[in-house]
Amino acid sequence: MIQATVLRLRICLCLAIAYCCVCCGRSDHKGSGQGRQASPLSPVAALGRQLFFDPGLSASGKLACASCHDPRFAYGPSNSRAVQLGGPSLKSQGNRAVPSLRYTLDRTPRWMHVRAYSEIEQLTETDSVPTGGFTSDGRFNTLRDQATFPLFAANEMANRNAVELAAKLAHVPYSRAFVVLFGKAIFSNPSQAVAKATEALEQFELEDRSFHPFSSRFDAWMDGKAMLTHQEMRGKRLFDDPNRGNCASCHLDNRGTDGSHPIFTDFQFEGLGVPRNPEIPANANPAFFDMGLCGPLRTDTASENKAYCGLFKTPTLRNVTSRKVFFHNGRFHSLREALRFYVQRDTNPERWYAVTRQGKVRKFDDLPSIYRDNMDVIDSPLTLHPGQMPVWNHRNIDDVIAFLRTLKDDDVVH
Amino acid sequence: MPLRAVRSLFVGLVLSISVLFAALGAAQQAGHGDVHPPIRHVFVLTLENKNYSSIFSQDSPAPYLSRTLVAQGAMLRQYYGTGHGSLDNYIAMISGQSNNPDTSDDCGTFEDFKQTGVADDGQVVGRGCVYPSSVKTVVDQLNTAGFTWKGYMGDMGNDPARESATCGHPVLGMPDLTNEQEGESARVPEGDMYATRHNPFAYFHSIIDSPLCQKDVVNLNRLPNDLKAIATTANFNFITPNVCDDGHDAPCVDGRPGGLASIDAFLRRWVLLILASPAYKKDGLLIINFDEGGSGAIERSKDGAVITVFGESCCNQRAGPNLGTYPRVKISGVGDQKRTRRTLKFGGERTGAVLLSPFIKPGTISDVPYNHYSLLKSIEDIFGLREHLGYAGQTGLVAFGSDIF
Repeated sequence: MIQATVLRLRICLCLAIAYCCVCCGRSDHKGSGQGRQASPLSPVAALGRQLFFDPGLSASGKLACASCHDPRFAYGPSNSRAVQLGGPSLKSQGNRAVPSLRYTLDRTPRWMHVRAYSEIEQLTETDSVPTGGFTSDGRFNTLRDQATFPLFAANEMANRNAVELAAKLAHVPYSRAFVVLFGKAIFSNPSQAVAKATEALEQFELEDRSFHPFSSRFDAWMDGKAMLTHQEMRGKRLFDDPNRGNCASCHLDNRGTDGSHPIFTDFQFEGLGVPRNPEIPANANPAFFDMGLCGPLRTDTASENKAYCGLFKTPTLRNVTSRKVFFHNGRFHSLREALRFYVQRDTNPERWYAVTRQGKVRKFDDLPSIYRDNMDVIDSPLTLHPGQMPVWNHRNIDDVIAFLRTLKDDDVVH
Repeated sequence: MPLRAVRSLFVGLVLSISVLFAALGAAQQAGHGDVHPPIRHVFVLTLENKNYSSIFSQDSPAPYLSRTLVAQGAMLRQYYGTGHGSLDNYIAMISGQSNNPDTSDDCGTFEDFKQTGVADDGQVVGRGCVYPSSVKTVVDQLNTAGFTWKGYMGDMGNDPARESATCGHPVLGMPDLTNEQEGESARVPEGDMYATRHNPFAYFHSIIDSPLCQKDVVNLNRLPNDLKAIATTANFNFITPNVCDDGHDAPCVDGRPGGLASIDAFLRRWVLLILASPAYKKDGLLIINFDEGGSGAIERSKDGAVITVFGESCCNQRAGPNLGTYPRVKISGVGDQKRTRRTLKFGGERTGAVLLSPFIKPGTISDVPYNHYSLLKSIEDIFGLREHLGYAGQTGLVAFGSDIF
């Protein structure tokens, strides 16, 4: 009896501590100065927080969600690896760079490709491009589904099955929280235990204010509480100019009609044709291609549309200056290099792609040749040709980087 | 002849002449020899981009509209759209203003109309999207005459970052993000398929600068409550479904099929609701129309596609002062993505329309040509509004008449 009472006391204490750890974390997500009042995390979200930071859930015992999605780096990678190390002995690698989890999770729409009913309109007017879904190929429609993937991916947390993961969950120090929240039989059903764990991760990511703090200088500027320098403003104009950078056509930077601050993505898919990255082990095989929306990771019916091959979802640019890897395949390791590629892809393709012995540039070399026509050559500045001047010179790039630095949240390092 | 007799004759003559003039006036008001029935509650429900032949064919995917409702009311077989964007059609319906290059292109940026003059029939000269407050709409006319009005917009305000829940539109000078449908997310669990370009009220400063816009342009989900009593039902109601329910998309962002199938599903719910309302039963008129037709010819080749849009019109429709000459050619894209769009004329094609009212004999069929300007003229006549705005006042334009009522 006394033991049971002590146990209950411990459980309550455990939950209370978890609650206190995160009680300053919840926000209204509005992205304005008023949106920073704290409200406590729900008990499920508090459990999700424990799970997010727990390396014990991986086969290696050393890899937590937070290992790759480091909160000090806006829930992005802390290092410059194109792809991170995972698996039971932390020696496996996947094919994609780790994205930041800040700002996008609660606003990511389900994956979709709306078509206009009218065939003429499809061809000429407002036909929408594919949009949404989690991960850079949009293959998950809910955060809980997305969260399930790394828990079982052989090159990430590498749990072999739900039984193995549920057994770990049953023995974590906070396992009683599962029982309190989901019933005492929760661990007798491994699939259900895993489902509840991913639900808790989802809730943590949605509720905790650290996923959308809106604490950058840009946000202060939007609220009239800070000034941007002349250089930063020049950078913003270059970023916005539809005839030059045209960045804001995808990385939306206008205030919402309710005053909410922008999150610098429209969630749409884009074909930039980023060069092949030899740092990715799978690329040693010349027949391997990560084609984003059309697979090989994505395997649903959407992936059968070959017009989608090579398209990846537009990421947020908030906190982009804290990153050390850029684009889906981590091909570039400095923001300057990524921006130079963006403006010189078409004017100086030989700088970015391999050149054959006959002197021909193998443009869009990270795609099979039959899909290279899918790449964007319609939107400025991707419409230029060799010999033309890039839309930005090095000084313009300095200005744009200065503007992008204003998007760094106040708690993010670098 | 005694004086009294002369006076009687004179009075009789005056009365006869008065009656004659009154009759002539009424005939003129109704357009072609008719006096409108005492309709006091009008509902306009506008759908998207369908041709007469696809909507009303034997095997139409919208049997409720093409068969059930047609049998219950009047079928206007020669109803035409007036333009080939969406927006230019909606603007014509409430203001009589003709197309301009920006409204014909659905105004990707929500910019002010830059007026340089005024032409015949009150047509403002210039281009742009949001008309100056000097340009009046049927809403201004109704306000002046003491009638009430409401705009009901599907999904408006579902995502308050895109548009507000009342009088929703982009910030002036900013891109119109409502041209892209928004799927459901944790923040916007119902998604948002509101499109400003289908909400005509958003494009007039005379409306959006007025507090009435916040009160009277609202989400469609307010309609059921407003229909409960005559006192809460506006005299004029303009209903725009979201871009799935109005048939614009197929498939829709939420996975529904869209097109005529979704139109039919929407009508089955909302038409029944309207027809059951006290206001409709007493003196209502429901007009179901389409903004424009969606047909044309498409020729594909390895060099892309050539699209020919016919742009047919009726009723001696005039292009207005802002469009320039036709045919016109617009080329976009490169390689096999190259699109050559040839638009032969400025009209919006034949769509047909269906009207329902206690004053309409079920199964009525009319082959009188009508367009969106005729619609505006008819609404103005029904409410006894003296002025016909813009091309609703075009000489010879016919309003709905005895062929329907």
